[in-house]
Amino acid sequence: MTDLNRRDILGLAATAGLASTFFSPLTAFADEKELVIGGSIPLTGVFAFAGVAIEAGISDFVKITNEAGGVAGRKLRLAYEDTAYKVDQSVAVFNKLTTQNDIHLYYGDSTGFAKTINEELNRRGTILMAGASFGSELNNPEKYPFQFMAGPDYVEMIAILLEYIAKEQKGAKIVFVNSDTEFGRDPIEASVKRAKEMGLEVVGQIVTPPTAVDVSTEILKLRRANPDFTIFHGYVLAPLPEFLSQAKQLGLKSRFMGTFWSMDNSLWANVGAPADGFMGVMPYRYYYDTAPDAPILEKIRKLRPTYQATGYMQGFLTAMLMTEAARRTLQAGKALDAKNLKAALNTIKDFDTGGIIGVPISIPGNSVPVGRIYSYSAADKQMKPASDWISLKK
Amino acid sequence: MRIATAKETYIADEGLLTTNTQRAWMIVLALVLALAPFVLNAYWLYLACLVAINVASATGLNILTGYTGLVSLGQAAFMAVGAYAVAFLDGHLGTPFLLNILAAGLIAAAVGVLVGVPSLRVKGLYLAIATIAASFILHFVFTNWVSVTGGMSGVNVAPARLFGIELASPFALYFVIVPVTALMVLGAANLFRTRIGRAFIAIRDRDISAEVLGIPLLQYKLMSFALSSFYAGVAGGMWAYFFRVVTPESFPFATSIFFLAAVIVGGLGTILGPILGAAFMTLVPELLKYVVEWLGPVFPNAGAALSPVRTIVFGALIIFFLVFEPQGLAEIVRRVRRFFHLWPFKT
Repeated sequence: MTDLNRRDILGLAATAGLASTFFSPLTAFADEKELVIGGSIPLTGVFAFAGVAIEAGISDFVKITNEAGGVAGRKLRLAYEDTAYKVDQSVAVFNKLTTQNDIHLYYGDSTGFAKTINEELNRRGTILMAGASFGSELNNPEKYPFQFMAGPDYVEMIAILLEYIAKEQKGAKIVFVNSDTEFGRDPIEASVKRAKEMGLEVVGQIVTPPTAVDVSTEILKLRRANPDFTIFHGYVLAPLPEFLSQAKQLGLKSRFMGTFWSMDNSLWANVGAPADGFMGVMPYRYYYDTAPDAPILEKIRKLRPTYQATGYMQGFLTAMLMTEAARRTLQAGKALDAKNLKAALNTIKDFDTGGIIGVPISIPGNSVPVGRIYSYSAADKQMKPASDWISLKK
Repeated sequence: MRIATAKETYIADEGLLTTNTQRAWMIVLALVLALAPFVLNAYWLYLACLVAINVASATGLNILTGYTGLVSLGQAAFMAVGAYAVAFLDGHLGTPFLLNILAAGLIAAAVGVLVGVPSLRVKGLYLAIATIAASFILHFVFTNWVSVTGGMSGVNVAPARLFGIELASPFALYFVIVPVTALMVLGAANLFRTRIGRAFIAIRDRDISAEVLGIPLLQYKLMSFALSSFYAGVAGGMWAYFFRVVTPESFPFATSIFFLAAVIVGGLGTILGPILGAAFMTLVPELLKYVVEWLGPVFPNAGAALSPVRTIVFGALIIFFLVFEPQGLAEIVRRVRRFFHLWPFKT
């Protein structure tokens, strides 16, 4: 092989590249003393804004935990890949990472993925999964025995809003506005029922396309209904600012509210004046919260001096809770399988999250039904607490 | 070098595989496909099944767009029809797995015929818009026909069973999905050796001339839509058994664009084109992830920082192929084969 020409070299390089691509997974198995968190995380695509923050949150939690000695003697490691928020890619990442690593904890990126992979989780029985979805369907320990969410599900989020409304104004009139997606429709039916049970009057329901820009007809419907509160769900930002500014121009008295994914502070800071007074439910404290009982936020601010989005807190807390389940399982001398991990997770009672959530939390099922109402102040460019922490009673 | 390939009969001349070299390579391919599940790990098997499903659907679209010249952006919706058909038949009637997949194809074909009706009056971009409209109507049906489709939350599909064996893992499903896709590709290759296939090509090249030649346009255009949708339906059916949950968001509009891009990148109007195109479109984003992984040691936080670059590279690769190889990846393969026809006398 002394007379290699350029083509031969290219050919050899390509073969070597392909060979290493195919066979590297077989050789990269994890160290025994590791605890790997796998992740199908959307770093590109429509949900990238959250995915990037989630990755940062989980990575920081891993760093802080390892600096403190790891989990029951094991070092934590995050193994993740981008999914572009597509279910088939999320499943591909799941298959890839679980082939390459010994994974018992997993972060999934969407309701669609959580539903798709559920049968596989049940079949394997080795992985406890949580993720970016707060879909109410997942809050069913019988159907989704090895999954959980680090916050209230969407129905519970709106229930927290309704509790606040009922306390503020008895018999208030409410309109629900949701996007025509699985995400948007998720809590509406149950929430309408709940509102009526709580003595609140649902005077309208508006459904818009997820990326609606022109909302003038919807605003007219809103004006006719003339609600005291308008609850949005199934959006991140658009078309909420358009709704808010047009409603202000028309002099509507309604107060506007949203759920977790539309509550990021930086989103509203760019909207400016029309955002003033926008409220919503938030299961976690904001990055800038200097409450004395939130030492972990102080640590986070030292690690990252600039504002971190709400997805960061979500990722951080999810990693914290799944790691706590692993810690309890290992300390009890049990095998790290899904059944033991979930059982350990469900033993979490009055748990201190270091201040990410302002009250001690318990996870009796698949969710953490706690949240707080925040309201945006355009003058301070910040979401400010408008209520105390609200824990839903089952 | 290619020698001794003179044909003595018309049948030999029309054969799918005309030389011993071709036959030998085909046997090698069949052996590789048969042995692959025993060598590949779960991740690559998953991708192999996904590629096979996408190849089936892209081959169908190629019959319609590549061979008949009718642009369609409804392929994802037809796949969804197939997937829902499987979910319904499996969940409500409990009919056998392979029958469900066949029925999914037939139901999708029936819907395809309906969607294809405007093709007699409109073509090109206008037809593309008509198929987009049809896919939005179908999406509405999937969302609101709750008793059949389960509405927004969709329906779960039980694992496929064949002769009492549960086909739940990619390893097990591979042995059904890949042979079914191979059969479908073989069917498509044979189609263009028949009157029907040639009529499709005649319509693509000049529909008025085709009509003058005695080809009833409506019948053949609808037949092309039916065949294409049948392929999509079967692919959708296999998809449903593969992912085991079908929701209206399982087949977004972008999936239709994905298939059209796969057919164009692979090579319109060739059998090899959609195979290469679907493999390219499915595998390249995954392979690019390895590049990101390799850069990990030299580039801090490579996963988060380079993922957007990866999508740009993928887009750039598509543009690169369209500019430098407008006939698609199939043309590259053809060129390589031509090179070996003369090798070693001319290189």
